Amino acid sequence: MIPELGQLALTFSFALSLLLGVVPLYGSYTGNERALMLGKPLALAAALFAGLAFVALSYAFYTDDFTVINVASNSSSVLPWYYKLTATWGSHEGSMLLWVWILTLWTAAVALFSKQLPLLMQGRILGIMGWIGVGFIAFSLFMSNAFERSLPYFPVEGNDLNPLLQDFGMIIHPPLLYMGYVGFAVSFAFAIAALLGGKFDSTWARWARPWTLAAWMFLTLGIMLGSWWAYKELGWGGWWFWDPVENASFMPWLVGTALIHTLAVTEKRGTFKSWTVLLALATFSLSLLGAFLVRSGVLVSVHSFATDPSRGMFLLVFLLIVIGGSLLLYALRMRSVRSQARYQLFSREVMLWGNNVFMLTATLVVFLGTLLPLFHQELGLGSISIGEPFFDAMFFYLTIPFSLLLGLGPWVRWKQQKWQPLIPPLAMVAVAALMVAVGLMAATQSVQANVALLGLLLGAWVGMSALGEVGQRIRQFGQGLAGIRKLSASHYGMTTAHIGFAVLVIGIAMTTTYSVERDVRMQVGDTVTLSGYEFTLLDLYKLDGPNYGGEAADLKVERDGRFITNLHAEKRFYTIQRTVMTEAAIHARLSRDLYVSLGEALPGDAWSFKMQVKPFVRWIWLGGLLMAIGATWSLLDVRYRRKVLRRDTVPQAGELSDKHKELAHA
Amino acid sequence: MRKWLFFAPLAIFLGVSVFLFTGLFSDPWTRDSVLLNRPLPEFDLPDLMQPEQRWNRELLTGEPFLLSVWGVWCPTCKAQLGFMTELKEQGIKVVGLYYPLPVDPAFGDHFSLGQLQRDVQRELAYFGNPYQFNILDENRRLSLDLGVSGSPETFLVDATGKIRMHHVGDINPRVWRQKFEPALEQLQQTSLVQLGAQP
Repeated sequence: MIPELGQLALTFSFALSLLLGVVPLYGSYTGNERALMLGKPLALAAALFAGLAFVALSYAFYTDDFTVINVASNSSSVLPWYYKLTATWGSHEGSMLLWVWILTLWTAAVALFSKQLPLLMQGRILGIMGWIGVGFIAFSLFMSNAFERSLPYFPVEGNDLNPLLQDFGMIIHPPLLYMGYVGFAVSFAFAIAALLGGKFDSTWARWARPWTLAAWMFLTLGIMLGSWWAYKELGWGGWWFWDPVENASFMPWLVGTALIHTLAVTEKRGTFKSWTVLLALATFSLSLLGAFLVRSGVLVSVHSFATDPSRGMFLLVFLLIVIGGSLLLYALRMRSVRSQARYQLFSREVMLWGNNVFMLTATLVVFLGTLLPLFHQELGLGSISIGEPFFDAMFFYLTIPFSLLLGLGPWVRWKQQKWQPLIPPLAMVAVAALMVAVGLMAATQSVQANVALLGLLLGAWVGMSALGEVGQRIRQFGQGLAGIRKLSASHYGMTTAHIGFAVLVIGIAMTTTYSVERDVRMQVGDTVTLSGYEFTLLDLYKLDGPNYGGEAADLKVERDGRFITNLHAEKRFYTIQRTVMTEAAIHARLSRDLYVSLGEALPGDAWSFKMQVKPFVRWIWLGGLLMAIGATWSLLDVRYRRKVLRRDTVPQAGELSDKHKELAHA
Repeated sequence: MRKWLFFAPLAIFLGVSVFLFTGLFSDPWTRDSVLLNRPLPEFDLPDLMQPEQRWNRELLTGEPFLLSVWGVWCPTCKAQLGFMTELKEQGIKVVGLYYPLPVDPAFGDHFSLGQLQRDVQRELAYFGNPYQFNILDENRRLSLDLGVSGSPETFLVDATGKIRMHHVGDINPRVWRQKFEPALEQLQQTSLVQLGAQP
């Protein structure tokens, strides 16, 4: 009964989205204010019913309703209750439903928090969001029904959830990622609304900016968590694999990053207009392309859902309508738009343009690396595979000039900047960076001229320069606290995010250079030394979990006779899915991770172990976290709330994102 | 000129979507083996039924044959046994490369040749036996060298021991007619030419 109600709720949501797509847009062309006013209640109702549908599916999972095919194939009665709930989005159908719900939530958020928008603009944006919703709900309803029953012959036990997905990371990774992907639909809708209206003043950019920042923040967190999850769960200590699906999430992130930066130019200087609109279209288009790549079976990946060409066909037609249509509209409307602002070669405009050049080059690298095998095969040139070495080499060469530019960029003024005033502070930053880099290296490793030192230098340059620039701005604004208060939240946000990038670069460079690993054979009582850490195997015993059995090992780690930690590694055997999973033992510190995973049983009561010491690997995720914090801080900027103080119920962008976070965790 | 520049994104997108469209209808798993037109990898493996008999590359060359990677644990392999037995009756040489599932002693599994032989015999007696003989790839070493990514997979090897075709998935009348027959025909023609050239 409940699954049928869920199906019904989703159908209502579909009908409401259809109305949302028609009524406010009709109002925007006829000037019918009542039609425009209907946008908000329609958007809220569509979100409510999509939410009910999702809750209905979660209920079916929670109560082990194996008559629902989706539940039977992705859950089992012995699964812990929290994994039963997260199994809701463990399959293609369920995750599509989550996607739909999040999309309607964003739409509802736009309806609630856009009182400062002219009614006309609001109606157009909601109408476009409505049409996107129609597409995705139709896909969910007709092509991937999550509520389908297998009556009258249903299994008495489910197939269990893929053990890889039985992890805390899985609980929050997909919702956050989808918040990001789908959030860019809002920037997209703003851009289309601007195209339809034909007005591209800076207000458009100011309205679109907080939404883009929020989506970008979620995507950053989602990608970061995905990386952390892979590190923990796949059992061999890698944190990024250049897997097609990771790439599919990385491309919108790169273009989204470029978009955040050009939105600043469009807002502050009224230039780069057509470029910003194109980036807004491209970011969401790449999100859609990602969904297509994951769900159509065009590419082979560990993340791919079970595939079906008719689903791929539906998504491709949807892609053609949404992306093709928007780019056509863009081409027709933009021909007449001209930017009038003037700026010199050495100016912040050009610096941000440089950011875009690097971001888009990186996107092109990822795009080609991901899709070239497909192009190659379809052109009949045979199979090729593009792997890590290609991406690693390309990103290595891109990061160097990009970091240098990033250290310089924030110092440069709009319109025009003279060289001379920048030389003393930048020289100081460079000296400080050199000292920090060499100091850090001397403290943790021996000083050598290698990639790690280069990474440290670049990271320190970016980080020191970001700090120095904030310091200088604060001094300009006044002494002490007054100066600190005067500097805008978005400036602090930018600085935090840039420091996050610096931390990320340092983490990657140090980890890739100084990680050591060893495969060893151990019996109880054996000791192995790696990088000065002495690992002693204390005990080996059988495991007995709710839906798995297996083997566990307890180890003790010492360094110079000093006790460091106990480690507990497992190798689990999930009985229903007959899958073996490695639960690595990880001891994390800011300066290094100790990573031990169980290998195979060897003759004579021994096991093979993989031991790794990974310096600075935490910095990679810390960098991502700082970027997300930076985006959140920027969202708090009063600028996004000013001008609208007509009512008390002005939205706070911060509240908004908190609300989303709560929903994502719920 | 500048006006037309704004159509560039649309054009690029349409170009990409052509590939996405054709990509939908071609299975990414049917990647051509990198070993195509290269000799079979070196190996020295026992016969499944008579382990004292060992097989290697040289013993297999001389006439074209199908090398079929399979296992009793693979349902699709069962399904193709009937049709492949018909092929055998038409005079096509089929050699099995038996791919056992990995066994993890940690979970009380252990490899038993006798049990495996009984399982294989029962299965072949029931569904049909297309194989002249079966090679046991216990450590899956040869399968790895062949780039096997799933079962069943079938390789067409010519008289000189070179791999001429790699097929992922089951062998059924349609696949046979469309893929293998033309290749086999071509193979026989070229080998005649070669025979003529080298008396």
